[in-house]
Amino acid sequence: MKSLTLERVSFWYPATEAPALRDVSLEVAQGDIVALVGAVGAGASTLLLAAGDLAPRLTGGRIVGTVSRRERSAIVLPTPWTQVSGMAFTVWDEVAFGPANLGWPTHEIARQVDRAVERVELGPLAARDPATLSGGELQRVIIAATLAMDSGLVLFDEPAAELDAEGARALWRLIRVLAQEGKAVLLATSALDALPDVADRVVWLEDGAVRAVGTPELLADVAACDAGLGTSVATVWGASGLPGPYPLTVAHAVRRWR
Amino acid sequence: MTGRRLHPFTLLAIAGALPALAWILPAPAGGACTAAVALVLAASLGLRRGLWPAVLTAAPFWVFLRLLHDVPTTLAIGLRITTMVASFVWLAATLAPDRLVEATVARGWSVTAAYLFAATITAVPTLRGRARRIVEAQRCRGLSPRGSLGNRLRALRALALPLVLSALHDVDERALALETRGMVSGARRTPLAPPPDSAVERAARWALLVACVAALIWRLK
Amino acid sequence: MIPALRFDGVTFSYGAVAVLHGLSFAITPGERVALLGKNGAGKSTVVRLIAGLERPGEGTVWVGDWNTRDCVPEQLAWRVGSVFQHADQQLFARTVREDVSFGPRALGVGEQEVERRTDRALADLDLTAHAGHHPYDLPPALRKLAALAGALALEPALLVLDEPTIGLDRALRARVTRALLDRSAGSVALLVITHDLTFAAETLERGLVLDRGSLACDEPLAGLLGDVTRLEPLGLAPPPVAALSVALDLPGRPVRAADAARALARVARGRPGP
Repeated sequence: MKSLTLERVSFWYPATEAPALRDVSLEVAQGDIVALVGAVGAGASTLLLAAGDLAPRLTGGRIVGTVSRRERSAIVLPTPWTQVSGMAFTVWDEVAFGPANLGWPTHEIARQVDRAVERVELGPLAARDPATLSGGELQRVIIAATLAMDSGLVLFDEPAAELDAEGARALWRLIRVLAQEGKAVLLATSALDALPDVADRVVWLEDGAVRAVGTPELLADVAACDAGLGTSVATVWGASGLPGPYPLTVAHAVRRWR
Repeated sequence: MTGRRLHPFTLLAIAGALPALAWILPAPAGGACTAAVALVLAASLGLRRGLWPAVLTAAPFWVFLRLLHDVPTTLAIGLRITTMVASFVWLAATLAPDRLVEATVARGWSVTAAYLFAATITAVPTLRGRARRIVEAQRCRGLSPRGSLGNRLRALRALALPLVLSALHDVDERALALETRGMVSGARRTPLAPPPDSAVERAARWALLVACVAALIWRLK
Repeated sequence: MIPALRFDGVTFSYGAVAVLHGLSFAITPGERVALLGKNGAGKSTVVRLIAGLERPGEGTVWVGDWNTRDCVPEQLAWRVGSVFQHADQQLFARTVREDVSFGPRALGVGEQEVERRTDRALADLDLTAHAGHHPYDLPPALRKLAALAGALALEPALLVLDEPTIGLDRALRARVTRALLDRSAGSVALLVITHDLTFAAETLERGLVLDRGSLACDEPLAGLLGDVTRLEPLGLAPPPVAALSVALDLPGRPVRAADAARALARVARGRPGP
């Protein structure tokens, strides 16, 4: 079941001649994890905004093509301090902000918030004032807040940027769990080395257009490595002059080596 | 801090009535009384959090007024402005934005308007925090906030510009970001913890309103 | 030789919360050091102490032969270039060039010298093409680079950077690596807080690991990054290249991509064919 479909979408920001998205077609089904990769400015963030019905509605600009969503979407932006409500004095209240805005009954809000707080392992921080949290802690709060809204389509824009190594690992685990529960996940990330274990499909964006789509094996392609979008292992293998196909991960490399 | 236990509408009523009365009642006695009350409220927050910011913000106005007007006019307008400034400082520190939104929602009124107002209040500590970070960053690049007037003005520009620019830039991003948190106009927000209201407070709010109207009528006669 | 930076038994608390306990280490000119550790371990506090924004509760922070207790941040700017997290929010000038030249100008080094330092900093980070743009017209990633250029333009003896690569793609991270290696070759000492161990492997040579305010580890990155048993209790994991070196038992256990590629090629050549 397709949660999100983009058909030949092109998008221009206001007063900009060059399109930020060019003829992009993309599908994300329930239970899918699709990763967007590309250089800075390739259009991944814009694509997420379009998928989340935020562009052009709130950003302004012009769109061509169709974006269809079968369900409600929620997005985690790379800047948690802009997504914070500014009105909650505890983390629990912050996570409850979204569900309350959606008008759910109190017991349902409590259920969703408790569940989200548990899943993102925010228990120890639940009573803290969001204004006193570090960037990484705040990002986890926003992730919980987004999960509490229980949307079928969850969009992530560089969700691990502020997280330390443990936090990032916990996040990838959580994303896999979300997909197992049937949610559709679309995520933009520069953490290429994590993708083989996380993503079902990888979409390579270049200058606003889809250059390639495939399994994470795409990140071991010669072309991807040349463009700086290969995994670390694949890039090293390629640079060593050894023949392709390049291994994607350390485990793959060990198998090839034998 | 009693402010936090009064109903948000009561806080608003007080912070609105004081400046209103300051302008309605005859100067300088009217302004002096309201300014005194407002300064006492601000002082109740403590010297650093309340009284000092109120005095510091009002002071430049007094200077400009004196440059432009004679003493009686300066006094009259200055006291009114002091009332406004001190009332706002007190309100910003005591009005919990979430309680205001909750109170509004409990009444069934539009949450967006309440949120916008609340956001203005929270903007103050947010901007203060950011201003501090910007000052630190500029000092680490050699900017000295002390010294000659020229130096200090340059320092002010190096602080004010990034503050305003990043704040404006933020407003853009925040409007979008808040939508992502479900703040869609038209939807009815669920109150999580509506602040308790009492008959006494409701009566007091009406009394303040009546007092302002009565004063206005009396002045206009 | 006086160390570029020395922490002598530094203890620091924010109010009642103890953040650093008896921290001691030294960095020599030209040395490239990574400051690692979980969120909340006290790393950003170290940066603030070096910049003179805080004074140690006990102990001393020496920047060269200056005791930070006797200095204010604007003085320390002569010796330390600090870039804090979210530095892209501190940009204010009308153009990138004007912003980058702010530091050297504030130091009062003379217009010609200001130009030279600005040009060099912009060139080092490949920002020359954007020099005339308004900072807020640039994407956040390039704004971060502009903020870094501002610190480079001070031409300090010590650069202290807090998470300089968040939000940067591989190409931009490579620019930062090149610029920092270039400075270090000119005897500039580097202290970089980062949770990007791949970037640390490429750019830095020594690792200081903070754990709950104390130094858990102080040793060359080359050995540390491949050692799972040491990294795991600290919440860290070997970066892919280091893990690859260990898994394939490459000679010298290289942690940098180029070194690993060379080692891999050498070993592959020496192996019997399939």
